[in-house]
This record gives sequence, C-alpha cells and structure tokens, in this order.
Amino acid sequence: MSSLIVTVNGAKRSASVPSETTLLELLREHFGLTGAKRGCDVGDCGACTVIVDGIAVNACLMLASQVNGRSVLTIEGLATKDALHPLQQAFEQHAALQCGFCGPGVILSAKALLDEKENPDRHEIREALAGHLCRCTGYVKIIEAVEEAARLLRERRAEVSSMPEIEAPLTPALERLAPDEGTCNRPEERQS
Amino acid sequence: MTPFDCVTARSLDHALALLETHGAGAQVMAGGTDLLVERKTGSEAPGLLIDISRLSELRGIHLTDAGLEIGAATTHTDIMRSTLVDALCPVLAEAAREIGAVQTRNLGTIGGNLVTCVPSMDSGPALLALDALLSIASRRARRHIGLDALFVGPRKTSLGREELLTSIVVPRENLRMAMCFLKFGLRKGQALALVNVAAGFRLHNGALRDVRIALGAVAPTVIRAAEAQGYLEGRPFSAEAVAEAGRIAAHEARPISDFRASAAYRKDLIAVLTRRALDTAHTRAATARLEEAA
Repeated sequence: MSSLIVTVNGAKRSASVPSETTLLELLREHFGLTGAKRGCDVGDCGACTVIVDGIAVNACLMLASQVNGRSVLTIEGLATKDALHPLQQAFEQHAALQCGFCGPGVILSAKALLDEKENPDRHEIREALAGHLCRCTGYVKIIEAVEEAARLLRERRAEVSSMPEIEAPLTPALERLAPDEGTCNRPEERQS
Repeated sequence: MTPFDCVTARSLDHALALLETHGAGAQVMAGGTDLLVERKTGSEAPGLLIDISRLSELRGIHLTDAGLEIGAATTHTDIMRSTLVDALCPVLAEAAREIGAVQTRNLGTIGGNLVTCVPSMDSGPALLALDALLSIASRRARRHIGLDALFVGPRKTSLGREELLTSIVVPRENLRMAMCFLKFGLRKGQALALVNVAAGFRLHNGALRDVRIALGAVAPTVIRAAEAQGYLEGRPFSAEAVAEAGRIAAHEARPISDFRASAAYRKDLIAVLTRRALDTAHTRAATARLEEAA
C-alpha cells in the first residue's frame, strides 16, 4: 500500500491505495475527479494529461505514490466559480471540441505551454500538443483556440499590469475555487 | 496491473541497499514511461519496484574534469533545456527532442531510456557516437564502462541484478564536436524510429578525423557503423564520400522487417539518413569554424 498526501486543485487530500495504483486511477476512482480520461492507458493518446508541479504528464504513466507531497492540477481546477479559464472560453468560441474526450488533456497541455510562453507560434503549439490524439476536430480549431487563449491571457496580463495597486493573481482558480465534494479527509483545511 | 510493492528510494544508498537485499526480486523505476507500459501489458515482472525518480543526487547536468556528467534520472526535458548541453554537445538535445511527446519527455529519463535497451531508442545513437561512459553502482562497488558495453540485446543489458546506472559522462575530448542526429518515424509526433542516426567528426585541414556514425533500430542493439567510419577517416569531405559512407553503413547494418517497415526500406533509410547527417554535421563544423575565426 502507498499512503500519500497530495494537493489537488489547491486542496490537500490524502489517500491510502495499493502500490500499483496510477495517478489516473487515484484521481478518477479515489478522488472522483473524472475530468482526466482513460484513453489508451499507455501514454499514447494524452487524454489523461494533468499538470504536476507545473509540468504536463500522462497520469496513466505515474504511480499515485509519485505525487506524494506534490501539487496536481486537473481540468476541474481550471475554472473559477465565476468564469471559465481563457483556454476554456477560447475552446468554446472556436468550437475546438466535438466529442470532448480529448479536451481536458489538450487544455492542460496548452496551459502548461502558455504558463511558460505567453506568445507561442503555431509550431510551438503543435509541438506542445503532439502527445494528444483527437479523432474529431482535425486539430485546426484546437490550435486556433490555443492562439486565441494566448491572446486573451496577454490582454489580461496587460490589464493587470496597468492596475498598480491591485495584486490580481493570473490564475485565481486555485485560491478561489471551493473544494469540491469528496469523501477524503483534508487535514490542512480543517486547521485553517 | 499485477499488484506489486513500491518503495520510494530516500537516497542512492537506500536504493542500492534495496537492490542488494532483493536482487532479482526488485526492479528499478525512474521515469516509468516504459516500465509501467510493460507492466500494464502483462509481462512477468519482479514484485518490488524501487522508485528512484525523486533522487536529486541522480538528476542534473554538470561539467566535471571527466566531461559532461548527466545524472541517470535526468529527464529528456531537462536535457533539452540545459545550457551546458546546448553549448557542449547539442546533439543530445537534438535527440531528446525526438523522444515521445512533451508528457513523456517530462517524465522519461536518459538513464531509463538506455537501460530499456530498446534498439529504436533515441538517446542511444547520440551517446554512442559521443563515446559516452557510464557510472554504475552497487552496494559494494562502483565501476565505469563504455556505453557499447551496456547493450547486450533487445531489452537486455549487462547490468548486474544489484547494479544501478547512476550517471552518463560525455568525455571532455568529445565535447564541442560537430554532430547531427536524424530520426525517421512514420509520424512527426510520438513515433518510434524506423531508423535513427547520429553522425559527426572533426575537420583537420579539410580532412575528416575521428568519424563517428551510430545507428538505431537497425540491429539488435544500437550500433556504430565501423566500416563506414573507417571509409571516411582521413578523407576530404565531399558529397560523393558521404554518399558512399551511407551505402556502406546500409550494407553493414542488420535491420529486420516488422510491421513498421521492411528491412530493405530500412536499409534505404540508413543510406539516406547517414548521408544527410554527415552533410549537416559538415555544415555545422564549417559554421563553428567561421564563428571561431570571427
């Protein structure tokens, strides 16, 4: 068995799971977060992509024990209660999702890219998304949506920097989002 | 997956102690991008997994007296972003960039890639062309071997049951060499190599010296094309000479036919990729000389 404490979408959670449990199984079956999808389960399709300590990974290729003490962001942690994340807005506007199965993974890979590069070119976007399979869209609209999201995020940054007195976090989701319902104990939260 | 126990190693010594105790009953996991796939697809595997992915002492890139030392648990992404690699042996980053996709490069490690001993690995040809040395540790001893001595056969290395690959060293004399890595896969992203090639040399008064040509996916392990290297050694660079070297390399390789490509197609690819890699290395050598002169 592996006992672990992990921060998921800003909330501390703990679990005790069999050692062979993958991060994907931990998220879906133990934490009830089914946004990350089980596609191929061998690292080919990217549908299970989540962000661990800032980097995009295939949740099917990590063991749950490997995220002990680390921070995981899933698609459930991206929007605030008030608004979708600019990536989600752009995907909606550009009709970049059809069946939507690949969407959570694609959007998180795009987020990892945009966190690092605020103005990626098309080639860089394609590189960042090379580990994702989408059988509906043909990828064109996905790439356009990521470009649009990059624009939206740059505009937001410009707005924020023109307001010197206000400290507005660029990704308020983690701070603002109420912890979702779950059966796991969250010791840290109870203390606060 | 078949149930197993997993211990997160606290230190290299801890990992080595576990290996000594459990021997054949244990298996080391670094990035897990290959190992977990193997476990899921059901092949027989030891009941204890030793997770070394978080050992900072096995991760990182440093310039030492011996050369450029890369910790075995350094990820492909780390290598792509390293300023030391970029300055001293950029061919390693060129190869790392071709591995899997972002997600796999973020987890997968250079040491893990080597010990899978898969003939189509992308780290192998570049490191073999650079005559990389390996540091191998067990509880009782440390030893150093050339990379060529690691490769035994498909998924078979010369590592002992109690041994762990700890670092890879590109010897100082092989840094700053003009080299090129090329890979041909069926798609641009996430494809295994049908053939990959790393080639390079030094230019002395217009003649090729210290020629290295390494080929992947064309034999049971990654190999050096010794005859092609020998043909070029000391010759002046010319389009004809590198084309002939490509033909010789294709002749000496032993590719197989499988569902990805026929052996004959792979032989054609070897000739073309070897020629192109040598051409590009030559352009890079000439550019580097111009920069030095300026």
